[in-house]
Amino acid sequence: MILDELGKRLLFFDGGMGTLLQERGLGPGELPETWNFGERANDVVDVHKAYVEAGSDVILTNTFGANALKYHDGRYPLKDVVEAAVRNARDAFGQAGRNGYVALDVGPTGKLLKPMGDLDFEEAYRAFREVVVYGADAGVDAIHIETMGDTYEMKAAVLAAKENTDLPVFVTAVFDERGKLLTGADVLAVVSMLEGLRVDALGVNCGLGPMQMGPVLDELFAYSSLPVIVKPNAGLPKTRGGKTVYDISAGEFAEEMEKIVRKGALAVGGCCGTTPEHVRLLAGRCAGIKVAPPQRKARTVVSSYGKAVLFGGRSIIIGERINPTGKKKLKAALKAHDIDYILKEAITQEDQGAHILDVNVGLPGIDETEMMKEAVESLQGVTGLPLQIDTVDMKAMEAALRVYNGKAMVNSVSGKQESMDGVFPLVRKYGGVVVALLLDEDGIPDTAGGRIAIAKKIIAEAAKYGIEKKDLVMDALALTISSEPRGAAVALETLRRLRDELGVHTVLGVSNISFGLPMRPVINAAFYTMALHGGLSSGIINPASEDMMRAYDAYHALMGLDDNCGNYISKYGGMTTAVAPAGAANESPVGSGNVGNGAGMPGAGGAGGGRMTLQKAIERGMKDEAGALARELVKASAPLDVINGHLIPALDLVGKGFEEGTVFLPQLLMSAEAAKGAFAVLKEAMEGAGNAGGKKEKVVLATVKGDIHDIGKNIVKVLLENYNFDVVDLGKDVPPERVVEAVKAQDVRLVGLSALMTTTVAGMEETIRLLRKEAPDCRVMVGGAVLNQEYADMIGADFYGKDAMQSVYYAQRVLQGTKSCAPLQAGIAKKVSDES
Amino acid sequence: MGHLEREAVRYLGYGKHAVDDGTLALIAESFADLRKVAEQKSIYRIFALSHGETGGAGRLAIGGLQLESRNLAKNLKGCGEAALFAATLGVGVDRLIRRAEITNMAKAVVLQACAAAYLEEYCDACQERIAREARREGKYLRPRFSPGYGDFSLSYQAGIMRMLDCAKQIGLTMTDGCLMTPIKSVTAVIGIGTVGAACHQGGCGACRKRDCLYRRD
Repeated sequence: MILDELGKRLLFFDGGMGTLLQERGLGPGELPETWNFGERANDVVDVHKAYVEAGSDVILTNTFGANALKYHDGRYPLKDVVEAAVRNARDAFGQAGRNGYVALDVGPTGKLLKPMGDLDFEEAYRAFREVVVYGADAGVDAIHIETMGDTYEMKAAVLAAKENTDLPVFVTAVFDERGKLLTGADVLAVVSMLEGLRVDALGVNCGLGPMQMGPVLDELFAYSSLPVIVKPNAGLPKTRGGKTVYDISAGEFAEEMEKIVRKGALAVGGCCGTTPEHVRLLAGRCAGIKVAPPQRKARTVVSSYGKAVLFGGRSIIIGERINPTGKKKLKAALKAHDIDYILKEAITQEDQGAHILDVNVGLPGIDETEMMKEAVESLQGVTGLPLQIDTVDMKAMEAALRVYNGKAMVNSVSGKQESMDGVFPLVRKYGGVVVALLLDEDGIPDTAGGRIAIAKKIIAEAAKYGIEKKDLVMDALALTISSEPRGAAVALETLRRLRDELGVHTVLGVSNISFGLPMRPVINAAFYTMALHGGLSSGIINPASEDMMRAYDAYHALMGLDDNCGNYISKYGGMTTAVAPAGAANESPVGSGNVGNGAGMPGAGGAGGGRMTLQKAIERGMKDEAGALARELVKASAPLDVINGHLIPALDLVGKGFEEGTVFLPQLLMSAEAAKGAFAVLKEAMEGAGNAGGKKEKVVLATVKGDIHDIGKNIVKVLLENYNFDVVDLGKDVPPERVVEAVKAQDVRLVGLSALMTTTVAGMEETIRLLRKEAPDCRVMVGGAVLNQEYADMIGADFYGKDAMQSVYYAQRVLQGTKSCAPLQAGIAKKVSDES
Repeated sequence: MGHLEREAVRYLGYGKHAVDDGTLALIAESFADLRKVAEQKSIYRIFALSHGETGGAGRLAIGGLQLESRNLAKNLKGCGEAALFAATLGVGVDRLIRRAEITNMAKAVVLQACAAAYLEEYCDACQERIAREARREGKYLRPRFSPGYGDFSLSYQAGIMRMLDCAKQIGLTMTDGCLMTPIKSVTAVIGIGTVGAACHQGGCGACRKRDCLYRRD
């Protein structure tokens, strides 16, 4: 068994295959896997054999691109490819008269996974499953997943291998000079995810030569508790006379590799440009070196596709805003399937300083499993923060952990047997850092001693699953002092003892402490400071709370955890009073996304020297000013009058300017955002006055199947919403059936379809055809870079919108029976009172 | 305004109109964001080029890649070699734009234009490096010509990307609909000949869509 040897003696892998086959005549773009057959099979066996003779213990099969997504060859089915490849590798050992291991080489699919690409996670999983099952059937000794540039694809491949075979699984990734994967993950993120998935060894291959790998390897050895595999290229590629050559000799390669072995590599070989000669010199040089298994590391780490969060330094802020408990707007958004609302909450919390985001979408009447999966997938497209999966529904938890790109935080397990029986198997399979609530069947102990006893019980039970203490973060439980006078004292003592006696990291839902009391932020902030001082590793808080963030910033400055008070000064330096006005601190440290509100625009508000009016604020796209001015106006006027007298004239003017070519797209959209800001204020006022709203007209929007460019569709969406339409946004790459389904389910009278490229107009045409058949009363408007009137006519659309405003006017004509913006007021008034 | 900013303004469709301060501020912010997250990567390989003698005009072979496009053939006239080229700004830029689409659509639109300008500038810089190497051998480059220009079908993207092993080398992949991911990416053919092409018949000049909003004069 290869695992019996790994870690006890240095194992030698082979070197480059593709580059050697190219020397034997494999052309650019030709599939190397087709060489596993016929006469060419001799070449493959020869290369393998040369490696075996040079000293390789492990030979990778010639199957790097053998998956259904990448391998396009009509002649040989995949199953045959894998079988032949395994046979060739075995034959090489046989011919060389040596024993060794054959590992199934599994390379990437060559496609990018959703949401950045169009490959579904489960489709990637199925492609990998097919190959690993063929490999296992053909009798390989291990599965070697290599040259991975994306953690998500890595995860799909590992799950396929672990769920469908009992073979050892090795994974090596390609890091660049900055120590990152192509899709952004750093070394710690990769290590933590792979250890969570319980692979048997991990490491690096390709990308760099041994000299350039130094910094990446230092991190790998520092972080990994698993054996590390290192397979560099033969230096860096250079183009000479149109050919790719690598810049170091076999001798230099072996010399560098010896240093890497002495640092701790337990399996070594080569990648592009390396040859049997490289392996021969390497094996000769290093064969006698004694190695030791890696030491277990005790770091607590959660990760996303691009970022690892390490517990132990500064305290971690876990943003609590994505949880419907007590949040009316989020509840409404979940019911209306408004994913964008959740995404906005996430981005806001990130900008406010959260390090991890809690995600809880449990609500009666919605399918939590589906919603959780969709929320996690969508969040991964817009934020690099790790997520904390927060649910009591084990199905939802598994669905989320499966599609999660990284090592998630899991909220939560408790000392109840049933809870541990449900959660721990999932964490064992998918990895994760679990929040452990210190309560059990008998409730919450009212002493620290009682809670510590439960913590010990949870640690012992987790160990049965191979889940280490480092992957448990203990929730000391803050009970409100309004009913539990010793609630804070017990929580603080528990925190200290957890840290000192058990050496575990901790978490608290901080604001629970003040439940039922007036002026809760006063208590919360003071308790937060005390808890931080008591060793709180992470707090689940609202990062929008000034009081909490000030407590956080002050604590870290006071305790020497903020170098030279740098963070504190950058955030509060511009403020002159002891207590800044609420909201002010949000502007300086996190500069993203706040241009467009006019505040940062040179000259904004100054033109003409006149007083700023709501109409002007909207025309100039000044969002904050528009909101403030609407607030002023509504004190003296009815909201409807503000809409008719100020908002609509402004929108009219901007819309007209856009048509005439004097106002341009960014300005149009800035005005739309400003109008939205004013609407929000007026809506509140109307709700206060108890106004009930009418029905809004629905418009379905979709970027058609095959197309992933959806910015045009999103522009139309923003404007339609501004003009009182209820947009059902189906997203991008939408199959025709889904458009039809949405139209029928919600009785929609207008659909907008977008396509960018000629290649995807076919998807548009198909959608229109299906709509005509299934929903003949529904009108279809189309738009997108490649379209024109002629094209639109050809595919049978009712309307071609050459720009976003044209779509708005058409929607008004079709659904509201109006032609211009002017008679809109009734509709907008409805919109205003509708949104709640 | 520098060259990059001017190009971004052109992509935003301003033509000769003055740009408002709000948009200028967004442009400045967008380029700052792009500099932080863009991970430019590129690759090229030079292959022998042959012009087809049978099967009609527009038949070409670049290395083992068979192509048919009259416009490309015209662009490559007189060249004995061609470079296949691909470049990308990486997935970080896609994420940046997606994020702005959620929070600030005006910013998203400006980012989109700035990213396009940024990518073009990067491609120009790459091409200049290839040109310098070629000049050492007494050869000259033609303007790059991408799938999607004129009658050069987008479907050739697949072949170019396979020849360059783009997924592995620079992380550039393709959807089932032949769209590139990351979105801010380019593939192109660059002709290499022994005479300097006096007249640069590339980009806008080669395109027949004369009413295009973005056309350079």
